[in-house]
Amino acid sequence: MYRQSDTKALEDLLQKYEIEVSMNQSNVEIKINPEQLIEVATLLKSNLSFELLMDIIAVDYLTYGDVDWKTNNATSTGYSRAVKPTIIPEIDETFKGRFAVFYQLLSVSNNQRLTLKVFTSESNPPSVPSLVNIWSSADWFEREAFDLMGIHFDGHPDLRRILTDYGFIGHPFRKDFPTNGNLEVVYDEEKEEVVYQTVSISTRPGVPRVIRDRND
Amino acid sequence: MGLETDNNLIDQQGPGFIITSVDKLVNWARTGSMWPVTFGLACCAVEMMHAGASRYDTDRFGVFFRPSPRQSDVMIVAGTLVNKMAPALRKVYDQMAEPKWVISMGSCANGGGYYHHSYSVVRGCDQIIPVDIYVPGCPPTSEALINGIIELQEKIKKEESIANV
Repeated sequence: MYRQSDTKALEDLLQKYEIEVSMNQSNVEIKINPEQLIEVATLLKSNLSFELLMDIIAVDYLTYGDVDWKTNNATSTGYSRAVKPTIIPEIDETFKGRFAVFYQLLSVSNNQRLTLKVFTSESNPPSVPSLVNIWSSADWFEREAFDLMGIHFDGHPDLRRILTDYGFIGHPFRKDFPTNGNLEVVYDEEKEEVVYQTVSISTRPGVPRVIRDRND
Repeated sequence: MGLETDNNLIDQQGPGFIITSVDKLVNWARTGSMWPVTFGLACCAVEMMHAGASRYDTDRFGVFFRPSPRQSDVMIVAGTLVNKMAPALRKVYDQMAEPKWVISMGSCANGGGYYHHSYSVVRGCDQIIPVDIYVPGCPPTSEALINGIIELQEKIKKEESIANV
């Protein structure tokens, strides 16, 4: 539970930055710009004792607000999600407002949690400063966010892929990445090795029937 | 066991004789000690461990797990095979000495299963290695796996490796 006085301390500390502080249930979330990230993170660690970075979450807002799961209407037509490629809005080269990074902080000494929300830079690739020098746990979290979402963390000492296959192309958690991927592996009898080929299946998810009302 | 005694012969020759074919003898030996290489990939591996541990005890069939493909006859592919693992799986299979068999355990190894439409999962381990027995289930119970092992034994008993040379 975040006490009101502590929100005050937070606001006082970050007074000179333009910062939105919002409270959802007992969770405090502050939204900052990427240029402020290093400074604010340093302050939060040294002055408000947020010793731990618990997690980093990357979000793709590309299709945010589009309702894919229209359960009642979709009953007769089937789900369109992943059958047809999601209608991708014209991709803005600048990635304006598309990617956000959330940092989950924990202060063990004060028994408090804090969410830090940063929209990435509008450049291509989208980037935010790395926090490895402040919380070393950021290392692999940032590699994961880079691997799956393609967000670059400036200043990261070793920004390699961490989960996907060696030589993998693309960032699978982006909304414009096909669910089936682009390549699959098979064993080639002649070459006597495992080789890649273009994916052989088409997207064909099940079409669940949802009955919400007696009349459906 | 596949070794039958010919009662007529015993009547003629007296006790102490067992008459069989070399194939049956070889297959009897092979089915009696099928050592699987430990290849647990996901939750199926837990069921595989149960099958190997004291409750179900595959030791009763001469089946116990080996940490090295060089010492193994059977590979039980237990779990989701991802693209990144596929070359390693093939390498371990290639390192096994002939004769060798493969049991594919669970939906994921059989055909991708729950992850069939994923960008990172092999749609069946038979894309990478030849499979002898498919055990269905998600995950298959330990009993189902043991049934798969017994089915593989039955399959091996039908092989005629000497007669067809």
